[in-house]
Amino acid sequence: MKSENYMNPYLAGIFLGLVLLASFLILGAGLGASGGLARIGAALEAAVAPQHTQASAYFGSWGPNYLSYYLVFMLLGIFLGGLVSALTAKRLHLTVERGQASDIKLRMVYALIGGLLVGFASRLAQGCTSGQALTGGAMLLSGSLAFMVSLFASGYAVAKFFRGQWHD
Amino acid sequence: MIKTFFGTGTLDTSAAFLAALIIGVFFGVALERAGFGSSRKLTGVFYFEDMAVIKVMFSALITAMLGLAYFQALGFIGPDELYFMPTIYGAQIMGGLIFGVGFVMGGWCPGTAAVGLASGKLDALIFLGGAILGSIGFNELFPVVRPLYTWGSRGVVFIYQTLNLSQGSFALIFTLIAVACFWGVEFLEGQRGKATPKGYGKFLTSVSVGLVVLAMGFTLLPGTPLPSGGRASGEESILAQVEGGRDHFEPEELADRLMRGEPNLLVVDIRPPGEYQSFHILGAVNIPLSKMPKELAPYKNRGVIVLYSNGMTHPAQARDSLYRQGYGNVYLLTDGLKGFMERCLKPVSLRSEPLSPEVAARVRAWRAYFIQAAQVPAAAAMVAPPSDQLPEPLPGLVDPPWLARHLGQPWLKIIDLRSQPEYNSIHIPGSLRLDVESLRGLVNGVPSMLLPPALLAGQFSLLGIHPTDLLVFVSGGKFHDGTLAGMACERLGHRRYAILQGGMGAWLAAKQPLDARLPRVVPSRYPVSSKDDFTVDYQRVLKAMQEKTTIILDVRPADYYHGKKTDEARAGHIPVAINRPYTEDLVKAEQQVRLKPVKELAGAYEKTISSRDTPVIVHCRTGHQASQTFFVLKRLLGYKNVYYYDAGWTEWAARLELPVAPMMNK
Repeated sequence: MKSENYMNPYLAGIFLGLVLLASFLILGAGLGASGGLARIGAALEAAVAPQHTQASAYFGSWGPNYLSYYLVFMLLGIFLGGLVSALTAKRLHLTVERGQASDIKLRMVYALIGGLLVGFASRLAQGCTSGQALTGGAMLLSGSLAFMVSLFASGYAVAKFFRGQWHD
Repeated sequence: MIKTFFGTGTLDTSAAFLAALIIGVFFGVALERAGFGSSRKLTGVFYFEDMAVIKVMFSALITAMLGLAYFQALGFIGPDELYFMPTIYGAQIMGGLIFGVGFVMGGWCPGTAAVGLASGKLDALIFLGGAILGSIGFNELFPVVRPLYTWGSRGVVFIYQTLNLSQGSFALIFTLIAVACFWGVEFLEGQRGKATPKGYGKFLTSVSVGLVVLAMGFTLLPGTPLPSGGRASGEESILAQVEGGRDHFEPEELADRLMRGEPNLLVVDIRPPGEYQSFHILGAVNIPLSKMPKELAPYKNRGVIVLYSNGMTHPAQARDSLYRQGYGNVYLLTDGLKGFMERCLKPVSLRSEPLSPEVAARVRAWRAYFIQAAQVPAAAAMVAPPSDQLPEPLPGLVDPPWLARHLGQPWLKIIDLRSQPEYNSIHIPGSLRLDVESLRGLVNGVPSMLLPPALLAGQFSLLGIHPTDLLVFVSGGKFHDGTLAGMACERLGHRRYAILQGGMGAWLAAKQPLDARLPRVVPSRYPVSSKDDFTVDYQRVLKAMQEKTTIILDVRPADYYHGKKTDEARAGHIPVAINRPYTEDLVKAEQQVRLKPVKELAGAYEKTISSRDTPVIVHCRTGHQASQTFFVLKRLLGYKNVYYYDAGWTEWAARLELPVAPMMNK
């Protein structure tokens, strides 16, 4: 069972750009993913400590129906779309992606810490690569472009320290 | 016109959720097909192994940017239909730096991780769990992080504004950079021996050409309109606070903002009209609950709306209702009108707690503004400026920072002299428009003469000007519009006037607040008196010409002075007049017309005029350009005997008995 080749990156880019444009024209807002994740976080926190969450300064303003937000549905859509696409391209394999010679635990620890940092940073910047860099970039917003430049600058600056997870 | 869910305030309905879900599906397919269901492929960009991230992201960005720009420029979608994220430099740069580290470590970003999970990647699942925990961590740390969250808040700012470029030229530059990146990374990958499928190069070429052609085409279209209120600063930081759950407005903050006359602040008194009329917070409007949806519609998600009643219950209910209708900019005044009276307006002497001198001074200032003004409106309008706040010297020049610091002061009147469409589309908050031509007219048969005092005082009264007010004139492309308005002040003896150095161009360049709303004006009765001892007629000029003790300065452009051009009965100049074109005193830069530095001007005029006591007559064709030289000599350089031949070349040329140089032989 051989996986299909990826789409030509420029064609995929244009396709993605048109999806973003459709989002602008239909929703009036661009694409976003971290907002949905944060809403799930708020709902989980509320399930454990409802009063604390409701009283908290940040999540509190979203309540009490934390999940009734368009980005939660968009995130669900991303997953479904990814699933359909991965299935049809025969790319659905249960695996931990890492370098062949790399330790699986190292990869998992990095993924967890990376997730923590990304989750925090997305709230601070009010968006992630989708909501700020791509959407705000296409809108030519100064802050979003500053976010994108900072993201790549720090990524390139520290990349060599985390290369261990990709050793073949 | 396209109506979006955001624009109609229905982004929280199930129809919008369904639309978001469907768009999400396409988003997920696009990411998966691009190969972004693989963390290895994603992180490849940071090791120069696989540059797909750059290729996909920038081709998507440029496609959407051009698409949106075309839709906006062609008028298919209005700026208010779109949600533009505010720029908060500190938070976004710090966020970006942390995000970059997390991206490289984790190998994913939120959207791609969702696709990774759908592709069976367990590291994506862990990453998503981490990101959810990170969000919860942010919530828990929010009280500590809050200053950073709003640090460097600039409101909605576009990069082309920041760089002072037009949208079209920036879009073209951006597209060219992206295309150069595409070819750069292809070259890089080629060096590493990465094989490409057949037809790949050809496809890239057509994409490059297509995008560049689209970007060039866009430069030919007019720019897109900016979102309303989007260029004003101030309210976005509060909008960011509301996101952090701060939907209350403290009375002290409201009082300060009202006193500053901040634009984009709407204070709504929701009590019955009778109660409103007996007392209300100065500047508040009265909208009963039942009429609120209709009357507040124009302010939906624009600026800041603060509701108050006697207590808190009704405003809170109103806020909840508005919030459900999609209003994200509604605040409650903490403790209502009672709280405002107690915390801001209660006299210092009646307070049980000791106040620091600073707080006591603030309370006195609030009382002076809100109580006196509410009871005696006429007196409030005639607040004289505190002498230590006036610029030195007067009449003189002020710069944008000075003006911005004093916006909203009751004794300051900003007078915008630009054209009506320019003023109507955007202006300095609270500024009034005046057409300088309304200060001139036919006097004694000579057109374009400065009007007599009674008519000038009439114009001043319509603008609500009081004799104690400081007037600041703001010109567009013609600096001498400001000085001509200054001549009207001189004639009425109104010495408290200043001209904004650089005019509106300088204000825009300094990125100071702007507003499109019209100010409220209470007409005044400006007293009629003439303090004009400087305007001279042709007989006085003729005498000066013969006596040769007075210097006559002709400030028209050299071609007119030399008689090569004329718009009048005769060409040439008054014999003995010296030509010093008014433009010599100006510098033009970046859509700004500024007077040269005083030192430079002083040096230039010392060469022609021997002493500060020498009598000087300035004139041009109609008196417009000469007003600038008058202002420079008399008000900036301190020449004591400067006279203004208002009728100028118009009259001199038409009175055929008067001598003209050079003699023209036809």
